[in-house]
Amino acid sequence: MTSPIDIEGGGTSVVVDGEPEPKKKPEEQQLVGRSPGQLMWIRFRRDRAGVISACVVIFFFVIGLAAPLISKLYGKNPYTVYADERPELFDSAGVPLQPNGGISGEFWFGLEPGNGYDVFTKLLYGIRNSLMISLAVTVATVVTGILLGVAAGYLGGKPDFWISRLVDFLLAFPAQLFFIASMPVVVSLFVSPRDETPVYVRVVALIAVQWVLGWMSLARILRGTTLALREREFIEAAKVSGAPPGRIIRKEILPNVVTPILVQSTYMLPNFVTAEAGLSFLGVGIVEPTPDWGQMFSKASTELVMQNDITYMFFPGISMIIFIVAFNLLGDSVRDAFDPKSER
Amino acid sequence: MKEDLVLPAPREAATGGAGEPLLVVEGLTKHFPVKGGFPIRRTVGAVQAVDGIDLTVNVGESFGLVGESGCGKSTTGRLITRLLEPTAGTISYRGQDISHAGRKQLAPIRSEIQMIFQDPYSSLNPRQTVGKIISGPMEINGIEPDGGRERRVRELLEIVGLNPEHYNRFPHEFSGGQRQRIGVARALALEPKLIVADEPVSALDVSIQAQVVNLLKKVQQELGIAFLFIAHDLAVVRHFSHRVAVMYLGKIIEVGDRNSIYTRPRHPYTHALLSAVPEVDLTDAGAGRRERIRLAGDVPSPIAPPSGCRFRTRCWKAQDKCATEEPPLIQISGNRAGHLTACHFPEDPTIEGRDEDIVLDPALAALEED
Repeated sequence: MTSPIDIEGGGTSVVVDGEPEPKKKPEEQQLVGRSPGQLMWIRFRRDRAGVISACVVIFFFVIGLAAPLISKLYGKNPYTVYADERPELFDSAGVPLQPNGGISGEFWFGLEPGNGYDVFTKLLYGIRNSLMISLAVTVATVVTGILLGVAAGYLGGKPDFWISRLVDFLLAFPAQLFFIASMPVVVSLFVSPRDETPVYVRVVALIAVQWVLGWMSLARILRGTTLALREREFIEAAKVSGAPPGRIIRKEILPNVVTPILVQSTYMLPNFVTAEAGLSFLGVGIVEPTPDWGQMFSKASTELVMQNDITYMFFPGISMIIFIVAFNLLGDSVRDAFDPKSER
Repeated sequence: MKEDLVLPAPREAATGGAGEPLLVVEGLTKHFPVKGGFPIRRTVGAVQAVDGIDLTVNVGESFGLVGESGCGKSTTGRLITRLLEPTAGTISYRGQDISHAGRKQLAPIRSEIQMIFQDPYSSLNPRQTVGKIISGPMEINGIEPDGGRERRVRELLEIVGLNPEHYNRFPHEFSGGQRQRIGVARALALEPKLIVADEPVSALDVSIQAQVVNLLKKVQQELGIAFLFIAHDLAVVRHFSHRVAVMYLGKIIEVGDRNSIYTRPRHPYTHALLSAVPEVDLTDAGAGRRERIRLAGDVPSPIAPPSGCRFRTRCWKAQDKCATEEPPLIQISGNRAGHLTACHFPEDPTIEGRDEDIVLDPALAALEED
């Protein structure tokens, strides 16, 4: 098999004075196999749209993480009420005097009519809070989905029946309505109505409510995948060598369900971002003065802001559109990279 | 890629206890419940996949199990490796009853009974390297061979005719035949005493089949491993096995040593099976012609098998007795020692052509009329 190469190398060595040695190296390297994961990574890197959208998504996460640092360098924070601090910038109604909400070298994205918050830092912190909440929801739903889905698929029988019925039951809930209706209820479980609701309670309630109604689709997919895998002969081979169920799930099943988990979570996260924004928009999520992506939309649609500062809407709006589109494209690319045979 | 066909002489030492029973199966039965009914689902019947079979595999022996698809061969293999729980009957390995042993109780025996699977494309975990796949059983059983597991895996790869450098490769980089060799290496990793090979070559194309069968034969002879070789290909079984059992609809209908079964069959079904094997005959038709039997219809449903002899619905010799009385698996007159047949009206012990062909298939008969 290698003889033609050797002959060729031997032929040239006469001319180039014996340098066929390095030729053997790639031959040895070829014998290291590529795992399905590595192949997926190679295919993904070839997908330009995927790489660009991945960069955009990473950019958003970096901005969110670095929000305190950026606002420190920028010298402002989203909680300062500039209507009190710098009253000379506002008219009597609290609207910035300069056009477009007072966009200037000092306030890059302008000031919010009313309280006069700095829009740039507010957006940074809004992205940070929204992404952190959605990420927490995604992690919680993925973990629950894996636990219940793989358990149902692998155990079968009674556990499968009850988990599947639970999934059916929860899927029958109208999710958005349930979120809106249950948020005040969940919050009031922890805080009496007369007290001020601490921010963390709202955050925990937001995460909990979305988590309860978010894990079913992934659990269903994983149940199906596990059910199919369980019948594969390599699982039987592991059983024949006496592998305990824990090892079979960890070493044989979980590595094979990574694909649906990754693909589904890249589709789920943007959904949670929009759902969270929707709740905050409707006033049941994060409320003032805590910055939040969705809550900025609701601010933008108030009469005062709508009439005086139409540009305010652009900042949360455009940033969210870019983020959601990029994340969905990333999800598509991840799926294509894992399963090159599926046609779009 | 060519398989080295020079087979070394069998090691007598390894098969020292030859003739001694390794695995004894008695009355083994597996019924799969059939559920139905609404709103409360209950058991309404049972698929009698395996219905009371007895067999013995001796130390170092290769035992072939043949039969049509759906006759319970694979279920038998899975029962013996305890992937399935038997409904009734006993499986004893070296005198120890393992028919209902749990995972922990089986642990010491697990390494001695291994399995080779039918489909090389689904029997290897696509996310593990070949090295991990083969060393997995050693890891599970806490076996630390001299020189480390990696060295042992490379050794095994060499035994099964693969390049030891393929250690770090993934299954998708191999062809079907190579994958099956990996499966063989995995089964050998624990140095088993018994390997259940469940149609190990039927998913491979014919040129590769020969290579893998020869590899198994080499392994069997060199290492003195007993094989339960399950296949529907009579030629492969003939090549491989010392003794052969023929199954029909969950029962063993004839068992005996290879030559006895292939040249002196008694059961009509065995006759039909053997005569269905296509044969390239370059000599003049007529001289030394084999008998010709063509059955009609399908195997009856295992949910409601026929009474008495299970083959009677397709047998050309069936009489009233066959419907009422189940023939026992015994050594009937004219059989050699160890050749057992379950039939009331056995055929002559020959496969020579008879005066008149038995063509029960109406379509085929009509074709031949023209």
